[in-house]
Amino acid sequence: MQALKPSRLPARSGVGFKPEHFDAIIEAVQPLGFFEIHAENYMGKGGPPHARLSRLRQDYALSIHGVGLSIGSPEPLDEIHLDRLKALCDRYEPESFSEHLAWSSHEGTYYNDLLPLPYTEETLDRVVEHVDRVQERLGRRMLLENPATYLLFEESTIEETEFLALIARRTGCGLLLDVNNVFVSATNHRLDPAAYLDRFPLAAVGEIHLGGHAETTDDLGAPLLIDSHDRAVKDPVWALFETVIARRGPLPSLVEWDNDVPAWPVLLREAEAAETILSARYTPDAA
Amino acid sequence: MKNKHIATLALAGSLASALAAVSATSAMAEDSKEKCYGIALKGQNDCAAGAGTTCAGTSKMDYQKNVFKLVPAGTCETIKTPEGHGSLTQGPAPV
Amino acid sequence: MSRKPSATQSIGRFAAAVVGAPETVPPGLGAWNGGSVERRFGVYRNNVREGLIGALASRFPVTEKLVGRAFFSALAEAFLLSHPPRSPVLMEWGDALPAFIETFEPAATVPYLADVARLEAARSHAYHAADAAPVQPETLAALDSERLALVRLVSHPALAILRSPYPVLTIWERNTGDSEPAPLELGGGEDMLVTRPQMRVELRPLPPGAARFFEALEEGQSIGWAAEAAHAETPLFDLTLAFTLMIQSGAFSAVAEET
Repeated sequence: MQALKPSRLPARSGVGFKPEHFDAIIEAVQPLGFFEIHAENYMGKGGPPHARLSRLRQDYALSIHGVGLSIGSPEPLDEIHLDRLKALCDRYEPESFSEHLAWSSHEGTYYNDLLPLPYTEETLDRVVEHVDRVQERLGRRMLLENPATYLLFEESTIEETEFLALIARRTGCGLLLDVNNVFVSATNHRLDPAAYLDRFPLAAVGEIHLGGHAETTDDLGAPLLIDSHDRAVKDPVWALFETVIARRGPLPSLVEWDNDVPAWPVLLREAEAAETILSARYTPDAA
Repeated sequence: MKNKHIATLALAGSLASALAAVSATSAMAEDSKEKCYGIALKGQNDCAAGAGTTCAGTSKMDYQKNVFKLVPAGTCETIKTPEGHGSLTQGPAPV
Repeated sequence: MSRKPSATQSIGRFAAAVVGAPETVPPGLGAWNGGSVERRFGVYRNNVREGLIGALASRFPVTEKLVGRAFFSALAEAFLLSHPPRSPVLMEWGDALPAFIETFEPAATVPYLADVARLEAARSHAYHAADAAPVQPETLAALDSERLALVRLVSHPALAILRSPYPVLTIWERNTGDSEPAPLELGGGEDMLVTRPQMRVELRPLPPGAARFFEALEEGQSIGWAAEAAHAETPLFDLTLAFTLMIQSGAFSAVAEET
């Protein structure tokens, strides 16, 4: 059996790549460790998306982040889509591949959203099978991301942190800890985000996500946060990030800004804020 | 036979003229970045990439009701259609 | 042990409701405060709807601009219910939108809309098409003139030829960009050529007969056959002009091997 390629992004800050920033990015050497792309947006045959990505790849480490594989689905994985991911990974040889603990397709329809699943022994077995299959097909150790959720399944019997820990243990996959998702989900389910982090298997974390969220309320007027990636990272999320970095040391840390994308300098400032927190924990031999 | 000969001459002559015309204008200045990476010219609408996928949610809500009462209300108002224009299916199907 | 609903069932119900009527919330979902989960479920419903409508809007920006955001959203919602995406590669979703517009009754007052959408679909196909170098002028110059009529060409992957009874290219050009378009009186139809010789999608209006010429070449007919077909369509067909456009546009990537 072939050994899986590890996830090996530099323990620095990075940002999600947006085509509108391409000109600004290649004009100078950016103080960033890596860029991340959504795999599905690079599944055309050619043209400008691949030309730009190839150019970026010359200078930066790359994280390929899938959003459409539907790993959390009870249905079998879409092998055609897995083939596409394999081809993309072969083409760009990214330092990391990650996906979500969520489903996005059902009975052949693609919903374009990261939808939630109940956490049970049954779904655990299914997700473990799927992660095993992805890692086998890609020949890589993947990272699985914790979701932002807005409601709970009554049938769930396993806590999310335990569910993720069991997947990591059984498949050997790493985890992508989205700190904004932790804050969003904890608020939405009135949990203590610090307690969530205490239970999270931090040793398995290979990358951090940071992003902005919107605030609204539920039917009873309780706070309901939306993982909207349309604004700056909020203070309590930065605080959670500092907690994680203090415990784990520097990790590859990505700022996601996918809606109402700002000018490049604004996004870069967010990444620099992350870098400041990381660099406080750099040690001479960690570099 | 004779016709075909003329056609051959016409084809070759036309191609030669076209090649000459193109080489005379081939010093077209092209922005090299645009040539290599498809960067859109300023002010040009180049959303051909498509929005694509997202891993983010949205807080924007604009639910529409009564779909079939809707009337087109964009820049089509600047385009005058002759009265009684038939439906598109009357035209030859493009693509 | 009590029989619990399997995840397949609960996810199936979730999937059906997330694109269902706004009042429908599947059973088995809850919130910490025991309240109704309508607004919570509404976040997912809204993500799916807005995400998919947004994906269509960015592929069909001029179509949206012509009819306005509210109308386009309603059109897109009707489309996504009858033609939901079947793959996570959304750049391919919406190929059926032009034909759908033709059947969408509220759009009947905008008879050119479907063809504008066809042009935008062709543009996005060209944008993502495989990279290929256009056939070089030197290659064409080196062809044996005696055998020229029999030569066939290989289409560039980005090539599309569109013919409309409406001036669709003019409409598209006027409605591209941020400024309010100048008034336009609908005249005759237009033929147009979509290519991507390098990294930028190029659009060209085609003179009389040229669309027939390019269509024939795209179908794999010989240059002589294509020229005759174009002449048969209209005596106005200008072969020199058609060759010039062919070379400038990068519509073809190679001379086909003789078989």
